[in-house]
Amino acid sequence: MIEVNDMKKKFGHKHVLKGVSFTAEKGEITCIIGINGVGKTTILNAIMNLTPLNGGQILIDGDTISKHSYEKITFIPDAIIMQPNMTITEAMQFMADFYDSWNQQRATELLDFFKLKESEKINNLSKGNRAKVNLLLGLALDVDYLLMDEPFSGIDIFSREQIADVFTSHLVEDRGVIITTHEINDIEHLIDKVVLLDEGKVLKQFNSEEVRETEGKSVVDVMREVYQP
Amino acid sequence: MNRFVKLLNFELSRFMKIYLVLMIVTFIVQITGMIVTANSYMAEANKMIYEEGMSQAQFIEQYGAMSFLGFARGLWFTGPIAVCAAALLFYIFMIWYRDWFGKNTFIYRLLMLPTARLNVYLAKAISIVLMVLGFVSVQLIFLPLENSVLKWLVPVDFRADMTVGQIVKWDYLSMLVPQTFTEFILYYGAGFMAVSVLFTAILFERSFKWKGILLGSVYAALSVVIMISPLLAMNFMDQYYLYPLETLGLEVVLGLLVTVMSLWMGNYLLTKKITV
Repeated sequence: MIEVNDMKKKFGHKHVLKGVSFTAEKGEITCIIGINGVGKTTILNAIMNLTPLNGGQILIDGDTISKHSYEKITFIPDAIIMQPNMTITEAMQFMADFYDSWNQQRATELLDFFKLKESEKINNLSKGNRAKVNLLLGLALDVDYLLMDEPFSGIDIFSREQIADVFTSHLVEDRGVIITTHEINDIEHLIDKVVLLDEGKVLKQFNSEEVRETEGKSVVDVMREVYQP
Repeated sequence: MNRFVKLLNFELSRFMKIYLVLMIVTFIVQITGMIVTANSYMAEANKMIYEEGMSQAQFIEQYGAMSFLGFARGLWFTGPIAVCAAALLFYIFMIWYRDWFGKNTFIYRLLMLPTARLNVYLAKAISIVLMVLGFVSVQLIFLPLENSVLKWLVPVDFRADMTVGQIVKWDYLSMLVPQTFTEFILYYGAGFMAVSVLFTAILFERSFKWKGILLGSVYAALSVVIMISPLLAMNFMDQYYLYPLETLGLEVVLGLLVTVMSLWMGNYLLTKKITV
């Protein structure tokens, strides 16, 4: 389980996160929702120790993050994080060289799934295909937790559908997923848990299935209630 | 293969194309320079001897015999070395900033590798040192070739021949090619220390942005002050308490202190303060 306790972060004098707490379980998809600039990416960066916190604590299966954690948790940012002059094969080789958790079989499966050409240079890929390569490099790791930042941001509808299909496949099952987005429609039916953020605080967190069953509301309905009361 | 070695190999291969281009350019410019210098020397000799009626002995007395050192003092030889040095100095900054800026932010991947972040720092620092050593080694290979070109173009009577061993003992070349193992450790150790100080200053900037520029500058200045403090103190008191060898020993200790401090601080910034 990923536990985020009282996370605080400020940039200069601006308090971006003012005590955010939530948990994300293995086998569940947790979606962090909020408008742009609310601190969604900062939360993921902080979980991966890519930005220091001004307060609070993050635990992954009860431990603070260390070098060993990167074999069981991975982050897929909204921009590709590989060398632009690498081919997809070289990028995969880089991952295989450094990660014991790299699963070559799954990587090959994902190449077929996304219909990507191995010999293609990352530089020459469309934005949609870059997002797919990013996903490929993250999903091909045998990790327990996946963090995804705006996976649908700025890409065409066909690529979005393909990426959304990943969430219903065996590629994600049994893993704990934290996803940030403000485009909820593509994956609303897949989300287990929702964390609604505003002005650096968690406004509401709920189990989407429970809300659907007990109150007959969709995630979007709850968002409307919270953000536009 | 352990991850540090993989990282080192990766860092070296990232710069390899530019590195090879620099080496080739150095070779072409220096060989061209040797040909131009030797030809112009011989043209002058021919002019003075055949047109002005000067004897060979008079010419050599007036103009001097052509030696490798005469060529090595000129821009044809020193220019490419200066360009390579400037490129490496620039790359000390580029090796970090290229991972943050541009189309793809590779620093995310580097910081998320399942290895100590200090390995990322060390791989970058050692790759810089290896690149310097590589340049020096290649220059050592170029020297006898250039010396042969000199012998080929200038008749023996007009030359003051030097062996490569004699050439590398001269002026700044003796810094690049240390004559003893102790000198090697001292010169390249000082180089590694300078790289580590600059890396840590860069990481201050990457961690604290504008405030970091100030902190990084203060850190670099502090390191310089530590290094020159024995000399400053003795100069200030106008009393030289230490023998030169003792001063050198103290400088080595202070150099080690600054290097360890830079590595520790660099590691601290990378693990606790860095922001992608």
